[in-house]
Amino acid sequence: MGKQIARSDKSGIDVVETSTAQSPEALIRIVGLEKRFSARSGGTVTALSNVNLEIQKHEFISVVGPSGCGKTTLLRILAGLEQASAGEVHSGGERIIKPRADAGVVFQQAVLLPWNTVLANVLLPAHLKHDTSAETVTRAERLLEFMGLKDFAAKYPFELSGGMQQRVSICRALMRDPKILLMDEPFGALDAMTRESMNVELMRVWSEQRMTVFFITHSIPEAVLLGDRVVVMSPRPGRISEIVDIDIARPRNLRSMGTPRFGELCDHIRRLFGAEASMVSAL
Amino acid sequence: MIGIRALLASHRLQSVLLALAVLALWQGACRLFDISPLVLPSPDKIAGKLYTLVASGTLWPHLWATLVEILSGFVFGVLAGLVIGAMISLIPVVERLVYPYLVALQTLPKVAIAPLFIIWFGYGLTSKIVITALVCFFPILVSVVAGFHATDRDQLDMMKAFGATSWQTLVRLRVPSALVLIFAGLEIAAVLAVIGAIVGEFVGAQVGLGYLIIALNFNLDIAGVFAVLIVLSVIGLVMHGVTRVAARRYIFWIRRNEAPVLV
Repeated sequence: MGKQIARSDKSGIDVVETSTAQSPEALIRIVGLEKRFSARSGGTVTALSNVNLEIQKHEFISVVGPSGCGKTTLLRILAGLEQASAGEVHSGGERIIKPRADAGVVFQQAVLLPWNTVLANVLLPAHLKHDTSAETVTRAERLLEFMGLKDFAAKYPFELSGGMQQRVSICRALMRDPKILLMDEPFGALDAMTRESMNVELMRVWSEQRMTVFFITHSIPEAVLLGDRVVVMSPRPGRISEIVDIDIARPRNLRSMGTPRFGELCDHIRRLFGAEASMVSAL
Repeated sequence: MIGIRALLASHRLQSVLLALAVLALWQGACRLFDISPLVLPSPDKIAGKLYTLVASGTLWPHLWATLVEILSGFVFGVLAGLVIGAMISLIPVVERLVYPYLVALQTLPKVAIAPLFIIWFGYGLTSKIVITALVCFFPILVSVVAGFHATDRDQLDMMKAFGATSWQTLVRLRVPSALVLIFAGLEIAAVLAVIGAIVGEFVGAQVGLGYLIIALNFNLDIAGVFAVLIVLSVIGLVMHGVTRVAARRYIFWIRRNEAPVLV
C-alpha cells in the first residue's frame, strides 16, 4: 500500500497527500469511503467521495471546508449515526456500523434534555447503561468541577448561557471516557470571546485527558490553533483536498495566534479554499 | 401608600376596572332605556337571582350533576386520547389503519351525534359523560400524535449516539417532548368538557345546569339564565386555570426560556 507522501509546496509547508497508509498506531482508519444520499428529485447526491484518512491515538484532527463538503456527514459516519455507501471505516480494528461506547459526540447545539438538571444531563450516558452508582455520580461532579460548572449541577439548562450549555455537553461526552471525541462545530453558535475561552478550555481538556479529537469547524484560525493536523475538504463531491501538518509547538495558547508561522498556515489553508472557489467558477 | 400609580398599572387591576365599567354601563343602559328584563336583565337582577338560586338550594343538585359529567367525561376522554394517541404514534400499523377514520370521525359535529347517545345510554348521567368524553378525546388525540412527531431530530441523534435503546429514547426523550403539546391539548379539552356536558343536557336530561337553563328559559326567567351562565363560566375558568397551573409545574422548562441568563 502507498506510504504517506510528504511534499513541499511553494509556501514551504509540508503537505501530506491523502493516502491509504497503514500504521499500527492508528485509532481510526478510513479507506475509500463514499456516501451517497438519494435526492428528493430522484437522483443521488454524492456527499463524500474516496475519503482516506488515518487518525492516530491522542491526535487532534481539525476539519475545515466550505458548507456542503460533507464534513458533518463524515463525523456522523464516525459516530455510527450514518452508514457508508462504499469503503470502510474502522475504529480499533472494528468496523463502525453503529454508535460505539468509545466515542463521545458534541453537536453544534448543546442538545441537552431541558427537563433534566445539569448533573442529570451529564449522567445520561451512564444512566442509559443502568449505571447509577455513587462513584459515577462523583465522577460526573468532578467533570463538572473540571469544566468550571461545580455550582451549576442542580440548575436546568435554560438557566445557563450558551457557552455553559456547550461545556455541559462536553462533560456529557467525556462521561463515557471516550477514546475519541467527535465535535461538530461545537463553538459555532458562541460569541467570539466565549469561543476563544472555549478553545483554551478544550486544549486543556485534551492535554489532560489525552483522548483523540475529531474537530469540525468553519474557522481556519480555530482549526490551526487546536489541530495537530488540519484536514481541508472541498465540496461537490465532498472529498479531502489536503491534509496540513501544524508544526506549531505545544502547549499553545491564544498568543500562538500572533506568531508569523500561524499566519502562514492560515494563509495556506485560505488559499486552498480560494483555489476551490476559482475552480468552481471556472466550470 | 405603596404607589397608587404602580397599582393602577397592574394588568390584573386594569381588567377588574374594565369589568366594573362594563357592568356599570350595562346597569345604566337598562335603567336609561328601560330595557325589558325579558330581553336583557340588569346586572343587579342577575346577581339577585344568582343569590336566590344558591340560597334556596335549587342550584346544588344541578351543579353537582354537571360537575360529575364534566369531570368524569374529561378524565375518560383524556385517558382514551392518551392511550389511542400513543398507540397511533408508536405502532405504525395502527396509524395507517385507524388514524384516517378517527380524523373522519372528528369532522362530524358532536352535537349531531348527541341524540343518538341519549337513545343508546339513556337520559341519565352516562350519556352526558360519553358525549363529554368524546368531545375531550379529539384534542388530546391530536396533541399526542403531534407531540410524538415533534421530537427534536438533534435530540434523537444525541440519544442514538449515546447508545440509547428505543425504549430509553421513548421514556427519556419522546414522552417528555410530547408533554408540551399534550398540555396544550389538555387546556383545550378542559374548556370543551363544559361545552360537551351542556350540549348533552340540552338534548335530553332531567338534571344539570344545561337542563336548568332550558327550564328557566322556558319560564322566561332570563335573569336566571344569565345567573347559570355565570356559574358555567366560573366552572370553565377553574378547569382552564387548573390545567394552566399543572402545565407550568410539569413543563416548567417551556415558559422560562426567557429566564435571566447567568454569566
